[in-house]
Amino acid sequence: MAETVGLNLAFNGQSVLRDVSLKLPAQKVIALIGPNGSGKTTLLRCLLGLQAPDSGNIRLFGGIPLKKALPRIGYVPQKLQLDRDFILSVREFLALRLRATRHWFWMKRGALDERLAEAMAELGCESLLDRPVARLSGGQLQRVLIAFSLLQEPELLLLDEPTAGVDSPGEHTFYELISEVHARHKMSVVLVSHDLSMVYKHAHHVYALNGTICCHGTPEEVMNAESLKEAYGIGVSPYHHHHHAH
Amino acid sequence: MIRAFLVALFLCPLCALLGVFVTSRRMSFFGETIAHGAIGGVALGLFFGLATPTPAVILFSFAVAAALLWLKENTELATDTIMALLLSGSISFGMILLNRMQGDFRGDIHRILFGDILAVGGQDVAIAGLLFLGVSVFVFTHLSPLTLISAQEDMAHVCGIRVRRLNYLFVLALTLTVAVSVRLVGILLVTPMLVIPAASARNLSRNLHQQIILSLMIAVVSGLSGVALAYHLSSPCGPAVVLTCVGLFLLTLCCRPLLRMSRS
Repeated sequence: MAETVGLNLAFNGQSVLRDVSLKLPAQKVIALIGPNGSGKTTLLRCLLGLQAPDSGNIRLFGGIPLKKALPRIGYVPQKLQLDRDFILSVREFLALRLRATRHWFWMKRGALDERLAEAMAELGCESLLDRPVARLSGGQLQRVLIAFSLLQEPELLLLDEPTAGVDSPGEHTFYELISEVHARHKMSVVLVSHDLSMVYKHAHHVYALNGTICCHGTPEEVMNAESLKEAYGIGVSPYHHHHHAH
Repeated sequence: MIRAFLVALFLCPLCALLGVFVTSRRMSFFGETIAHGAIGGVALGLFFGLATPTPAVILFSFAVAAALLWLKENTELATDTIMALLLSGSISFGMILLNRMQGDFRGDIHRILFGDILAVGGQDVAIAGLLFLGVSVFVFTHLSPLTLISAQEDMAHVCGIRVRRLNYLFVLALTLTVAVSVRLVGILLVTPMLVIPAASARNLSRNLHQQIILSLMIAVVSGLSGVALAYHLSSPCGPAVVLTCVGLFLLTLCCRPLLRMSRS
């Protein structure tokens, strides 16, 4: 699906990624965990071609060029850079993802509306279609961003700390939703996350990153006190309550 | 008079169209910097004895925009700092150059600051018309990518948009529009022409589609009525156009609660 071999990257002489090699298995939920500044977001940006590594290789979908790989990838950032004055509606925002609706400004909306309503209904938020994107709550925005990504039926979905602006109950619902979406669409999902208990519950494979890959494996293998100490540098409890087998 | 109406008809909607994205991307100060750079362009035009200052203004504005982009990409200075540097530098350069030339340029400076649409020539109308055509085609054929880079540049990249190239093209379109519009409304009032129609339309719109259409309508109405007002009152054109625009903004502000009530 996607792999990196020996990625190295430094900003202003400060090493951010050191010899990072990982292989993302197909159709699994993969969690990328690590403390702040451990290079998780940078690694995601390298995978997307937004940041060139100093050395190392990235292979997407068997080594096809980035330009051909990108249409097969969905990306959910932490937030949008929208000004509150920007009155882009959810409906208009979603239309931007579809090549067929590149000229949404001139289009008759009938067929399009049906498709967008379906996409939003899948995530339980079709009532948001006519709301301005800039006025959505953190949880609502994440759902809209996932709907946006799913419109192109991606094979790989990358989520960068998707619950950063979401409250605790919302976070729980959000991870349940990701599991459902994954089960339905059978894509690979990469989650950058801080929440170890949620990772334990929902991920199939975990990579612990702290500049370099400290350890990886199933949540049971990675999320023990010793591995986490290596990743986080201090004693951390995985706190895996309500654990169910996948 | 007809030339003045034509130039207003071309440039006011163009400013409004770009203004929707300028406001959403918080680039108003960029317009201000380019507009003030026009003083340097006008001074150079007069220095070289050009019949119309527009080509010199365009070239100088490009130099300012290029310097801005270069400094932004190659230094760690904040964008605001770079803009303040270029804005004050351009004004100072222009004023010193004007001061060193023989002759009385007070009338020219007045026209630079507040616009002189009633004195536009056939060449200005042609430039405004070509600009209107080129920039409108660019914006409407790139509406989706422009909207997406305004919302989130990284997502736009993942959607296959060449973000850097599109940003440069947008800056190019904006620089050209601002440089040419200086002739219409003057340096001091170009930024309001970018911002006010978009802000007025925002008061009445529920989505971007409505905001774009309403911005264009508000800009056309304020442009034409502003020119007529300036002609009848023998006043500078820029303030008349902007004042009409402000009047329409206040009207939309008053209409907003009524519109909300009728929708709920």
